[in-house]
Amino acid sequence: MKRYKQIAVLVTAITLLSACSKFLDRPLENKQQVTAIDYSNLSLMYQPVSGVYRTAASGTFAKWISVAIRSVRGDEIETGNDDAGQIAIHNFQNNVTVKSYWGINDMWISLYGVVLAANSALAELDEFGKNIPSGDAASQKLLEQYRAEVRFFRALGHYWAARYWGDVPVLGMESNDPNALSNSTKSSVDDVRLHVMEEMDFCIANLEDARPNQATHMGGVTKYTALMLKAKAAMDLAGNNNGSPYWDVVLDCTNQIFSSNKFNLFPDYYQLWKKPGKLSNEAILEFQYSDFGNETGDIVTSGGANELWGNFFLFQGPDNTYGMPISGSGWMVPSQKAVDFLTARNDTLRKRTTILLCGVNGQPGTTAFTPDGDPVSGNAGLKKYFNGKAYYPKSQMTPGRVDYYGANNNIRVFRYAEALLMNAEAKVRKGQNGDVPFNLVRVRAKLNPIAGVTLQQVLDERRAELICEWWGERFNDLLRTGQAAIVLPGFTTGQSEYLPIPQEQEDRNSNLKN
Amino acid sequence: MKYFYLSVLLFMLASSAFAQTRTVRGRVQDEKGLPVPGATVTVKNSPGVGAISTETGTFTLNVPSNADSLVVTVIGYNRQAVAVADNVQISLEVAEGATLEQVVVIGYGTQRKGDLTAPITTVNTENMMKRTTSSPMDALQGSVPGVQIVGNGAPGSPPSVRVRGVGSFNNEAPLYVVDGMFVNDITFLNPADIADMSILKDASGAAIYGVRAANGVVLITTKKGKLNMKTRVTYNGYVGMQVPVNMLKMANGQQYTKFSLERRTTQDSNTVRLSSERFGGSGLNPTTSTDWYDELLKKQALITNHGIDLQGGSDKVTWSVGLNYTYQDGIQESKNSFERYNARFQLEARAFPWLKVGLTTYIVNSRTFVPNSEAFSDAYSATPLFPVYDEQNVNAFPEKFAAAAVIGREDANPVANAFYNYNRLKDFQVLPTLYAEASFWKDRLTFRSQINQLYASSLRSQYSPERNLGPGTSVTASNLRSTQERTTNYILDNLLTYRDGAGKHHWSLLLGQSTREERWRQTWVSADNVPAAEEFWYAGAQGARNANGYSEDGIRNAGLSFFTRGTYDYDNKYLLTATFRADGSSKYQTKWGYFPSVGLGWVVTGEDFMKGQHIFDFLKLRGSWGKLGNDGVNANAGYAIVSTGSANSAIFGSTADANGLYVPGYTVNRFFANVTWEVVTEWDGGIDFEVLGRRLKGSVDYYHRTTSNAAFDKPFGYTYGSVYGNWAEMVNSGIDLQLNWNDRIGDLNYSIGGNLSTLKNEVTDLGSLPSLMSGVFPYVAEFPNKIEVGQPLRYFYGYEMIGVYQTDDEIAKDPVASSYNATALSKIRPGFLKYKDQDGNGVLDNNDRVNIGNYLPKITYGFNVALDYKKFDFSIAFQGSGGNKILNLNRGKLYKASNSLNVDEAFANGFWTGPGSTNSYPSANAIADGWFKVGNSFFVENGSYLRIQNIQLGYTFNVGKESAQSTIRVFATADRPFIFTKYNGFTPEVSGWGYDMNVYPISATYSLGVRAAF
Repeated sequence: MKRYKQIAVLVTAITLLSACSKFLDRPLENKQQVTAIDYSNLSLMYQPVSGVYRTAASGTFAKWISVAIRSVRGDEIETGNDDAGQIAIHNFQNNVTVKSYWGINDMWISLYGVVLAANSALAELDEFGKNIPSGDAASQKLLEQYRAEVRFFRALGHYWAARYWGDVPVLGMESNDPNALSNSTKSSVDDVRLHVMEEMDFCIANLEDARPNQATHMGGVTKYTALMLKAKAAMDLAGNNNGSPYWDVVLDCTNQIFSSNKFNLFPDYYQLWKKPGKLSNEAILEFQYSDFGNETGDIVTSGGANELWGNFFLFQGPDNTYGMPISGSGWMVPSQKAVDFLTARNDTLRKRTTILLCGVNGQPGTTAFTPDGDPVSGNAGLKKYFNGKAYYPKSQMTPGRVDYYGANNNIRVFRYAEALLMNAEAKVRKGQNGDVPFNLVRVRAKLNPIAGVTLQQVLDERRAELICEWWGERFNDLLRTGQAAIVLPGFTTGQSEYLPIPQEQEDRNSNLKN
Repeated sequence: MKYFYLSVLLFMLASSAFAQTRTVRGRVQDEKGLPVPGATVTVKNSPGVGAISTETGTFTLNVPSNADSLVVTVIGYNRQAVAVADNVQISLEVAEGATLEQVVVIGYGTQRKGDLTAPITTVNTENMMKRTTSSPMDALQGSVPGVQIVGNGAPGSPPSVRVRGVGSFNNEAPLYVVDGMFVNDITFLNPADIADMSILKDASGAAIYGVRAANGVVLITTKKGKLNMKTRVTYNGYVGMQVPVNMLKMANGQQYTKFSLERRTTQDSNTVRLSSERFGGSGLNPTTSTDWYDELLKKQALITNHGIDLQGGSDKVTWSVGLNYTYQDGIQESKNSFERYNARFQLEARAFPWLKVGLTTYIVNSRTFVPNSEAFSDAYSATPLFPVYDEQNVNAFPEKFAAAAVIGREDANPVANAFYNYNRLKDFQVLPTLYAEASFWKDRLTFRSQINQLYASSLRSQYSPERNLGPGTSVTASNLRSTQERTTNYILDNLLTYRDGAGKHHWSLLLGQSTREERWRQTWVSADNVPAAEEFWYAGAQGARNANGYSEDGIRNAGLSFFTRGTYDYDNKYLLTATFRADGSSKYQTKWGYFPSVGLGWVVTGEDFMKGQHIFDFLKLRGSWGKLGNDGVNANAGYAIVSTGSANSAIFGSTADANGLYVPGYTVNRFFANVTWEVVTEWDGGIDFEVLGRRLKGSVDYYHRTTSNAAFDKPFGYTYGSVYGNWAEMVNSGIDLQLNWNDRIGDLNYSIGGNLSTLKNEVTDLGSLPSLMSGVFPYVAEFPNKIEVGQPLRYFYGYEMIGVYQTDDEIAKDPVASSYNATALSKIRPGFLKYKDQDGNGVLDNNDRVNIGNYLPKITYGFNVALDYKKFDFSIAFQGSGGNKILNLNRGKLYKASNSLNVDEAFANGFWTGPGSTNSYPSANAIADGWFKVGNSFFVENGSYLRIQNIQLGYTFNVGKESAQSTIRVFATADRPFIFTKYNGFTPEVSGWGYDMNVYPISATYSLGVRAAF
């Protein structure tokens, strides 16, 4: 019997030992909890803001598919590939090929990904805000500035989403809750633009009064970046109506940028797109990248995590048998129409900068040389051109680097030149003289100044100055000036202005159907 | 090395001399004349000589010439002695009160087969050993009803196993329990080490493993010695050749040229011309015609296995040792193979009359060269107009592979891609088990405490050499990626079993407690420019380490369980099994899950009213209900997660003169839900019967499994992020049927067996989502599958192709085509596919996309015939599946093609060429157009097949002296020699969701083998 007792004790002991209470309560390995952040340490307060900048720069706004979709709706860029979705968008098809195309869904997610990241960061800033002592005005001011930086990117996401889809939801901080997010509803395209302008008023009031390359975090958004976005939203709202009060807003905002005397045009239009032109005094908004001057190792590109293809420069690089570093997928091919336009107006510098050749007429086995002397071959697809604004000469790349075409270059988003042209357009539309801002841009492009510039001349100059850039300005200009149906084959007024809301988004939130 | 083994084998055969013995053949049967397998036949007064009767009751024994009688013993029958004769027939009588039937291994114990209330399939390990497969589960293909096994051709890679359908979004593999240890896969096991294998399919059987039983449980017991046995040595070996079967025929150079020119693009005619210029031919008639599959596949590849098994026991100690070597070369023309060394040691000692202690250790060392399966997909689309090698490709090194670029194409060279792949996985595993078992109260009460552990470590070296595929392109630097993994798991079980009875009442009670932990950790590093010699494969010390070229990750999960099982029967007639298990897991926010089950059985033939009838020799009705948990669900944080580091930090100050610097940042993912147990509720009703003098045995089961709280990543708008939670419900139901006929005609014993299972899968709830789309990269959007309430899981979603537009007139009259042509810039022409306008609105839109097939087979089956004549035995096994569809992604690649890809010969010969030519293939011209490039049923094919899985012919004879004689069986085997299918691909065995891309083809194996027991 004694033996049984011993056994019973042993059984009980083993059972109890193997069942200690904390055994099942443990956090996941390698997944840090948000509660681990020390919000009372205000020196960490910029960290969520830096996170938003990174989200905006990598794998979202400048992701290849979004750039492709924006570009192929205009007449300056052709797909350069055989992708059914991109071709259908280029042809303004409005059927299931487009609505269920993964690319428009990806683009939607790219834009709203920044919006969601911004909302998440604002919640973090609120946590830091709770720890700012009541008398600490300096920290309070910083907090407001940081909020404004984050809200700028949120507004930029909304602004672009409305440009491509028209009526879209505006997502505020309530969308940090997935239930609220799943039930969000659309706002009209005009309301979105008004919302963006309102947001910019907060940003203008709280951001640094500095040129971006003089900001505390060099290249961060400042008061002038916000003024630029406000002006753009107003311009879209004003449309082709010269009497619209929004032209006053455009004029006011661009005047402020102009009269700040902080900006000037980078003298060399060709080098503006290359290393010497990085974050110049012309830059109002630039996405920044780096390879840290090392031929291999850590690198930050516009591609998202583990997504080489996402790299902005790579997919626009020529399909070049000379190989890396001047090599890519050969997509986003400048159209013959764009080339002819520049040729016809003798826009030599802009043409030399933007239109680079792939061999002789694209024929395989032939070679052309870029202005910097890099050899570029023809290709199987017989594509004649590649975009020089996304060209980064081998001589300027970090010595020894062979991968990541365009590594260490930044992406130009908003430029002072555009602000000047908007200023000119607003002035002309309002019956004022726009010659001064207009000719600054024109002279920089080595063209003769024009006196008494007309609206059409401003619009043509705008087309030439921004040609083959990636933000859909050409398509938007045709749209707002009512020219789209005339100029673009396949465009039907009332039907082709906006992309359909992606099928997958409607499936997940039926409010988007209305 | 392999030849060494071969010669040892031959030597052993040659050196066995015949001695002064007499061969006795016989058959053991019961009172009704039915065979009794597993009976021990020994020679009286020389216990060292003996044999065990086969499935058909036969045995062959070499007895000393002076022997006079044989003794036959088997559980459940009276011991019997008979005089020695050349051909003896031994009829056994049922022992008083003994049970006729075998004992089946069930969860945490054993049970008499007759008392089971659950449909538990006991695997016939003899038949399993007939198959020449390196992994044990492959050997079960087609032999267990309700268990679908989809093979994988790559050496060393496990098949995918589904028990009674798919009931989870997370995992479909069953739980494997090897001597008490939970593992996810048993490819590491040597099939010869398996003594017993039971497959628990329903709740009554599996719920005792509540925590992970939702996908079924495979219980494996490895071999053990017996008390007081003479040491037995068994050698098992075979040498075979694997040969590719059902080779996919591609369009040759001429056929390719023909259809690519029909597309009328400059690019295609350029390719043809350039091929002529560079590789032979003239103008538009190139002579090059590379059969890429032929180049990519070996004519034959070796497979071999050698194992030695020792078993023995004294009056207090039993022991066994197993050693095994397996080698399987891959049929891809590249470095791909699987090599495994197994060692097993088992020791059990009766320390006191009431206490047993034991130790089992399983050691596995394996080396796998993982192939680049993508090369198979490349071989499908690569044009035949360029050769494998090209001496003119001056820049190419180290090999002069040809580059498609010289003929203006972007195709990969499939042979080069396979050749430059080096992916070696070295794996080392130890599974020690230590236990003590105490018995009291005349063995009515036993207490067992057991600790199982699993230590595994692996090193994966992926080396891509410095190379240039030319022409003109730059050199790709060499790269090394080393990945180390380490797994340390343990399970501690404490079991108390009480077994008793009174009169006709019998009962048992099990109380158990189990504690588990699973820990896994992975570290990888990567560097460029690492030297080619393996001695220098150290990232960082050699070459240039990428700053982002390292990472660490890991998991750690804990579980705690309490369980009990009670069984009761009255007179072995009325049977009851009830189990209950409570499981706690660290992975979920709702930690505890509770899993009850009840099983009932009624042995109808035990009733008095059945005594007079002669139809049923045995009839049992069973029914069970229970709940099963699935802890294959992902561990869930249940809190907002912060991501920091350089990937979440922005660059500032990247200017003309400065490179810019990170400003530290972080991002927060706030989207999370709390997760609880995913639970399967299963009903099962079944009948077991034996009729016609026990010659026909069978069982039928109906099952109905509902998975509730099925966990998946629920996507929501605006983000690729998703919230993981318990959102869905689905149902699997069907019938499992098994029949076996056993009889003899004179000296010919034969058996015919078959099994069949049906499956109906339906999603019944998806939470708030109307549907959910997914697919396989990079065709997620183009060829989606859809999960929708009321439909089977992940059906292929797209337009239904109903023919081909034959004439312009037909297009003009068709509302869909004419409305499309009204606006589209690229018009529909004759030879284009015609899709069904499901809603009849005259426009092809989203509503016209429908279910165009499902990857889950509606039916899986297997059947076999075994013959046994004197010393010969022969068997043949078939298996197949029906009702499943395959999405032929090899053809589907045309979707993204910017120039003409190659197609299979059937496709090339089938192209529409003019009105009336065909209604099932598009024209060559049409495949370049966007109209063709939509997910549609043209790409969905019937995946049904029937395969001859195994044919074996064996011959058994006895050799050796009286004192040390041995039984030797030699056998010739053909595994998977023939397949019958309409599918236009290499193999209809496509694992995963039924997308055929990068699938490593299954090969046939022809082998010779020997089994010798001393």
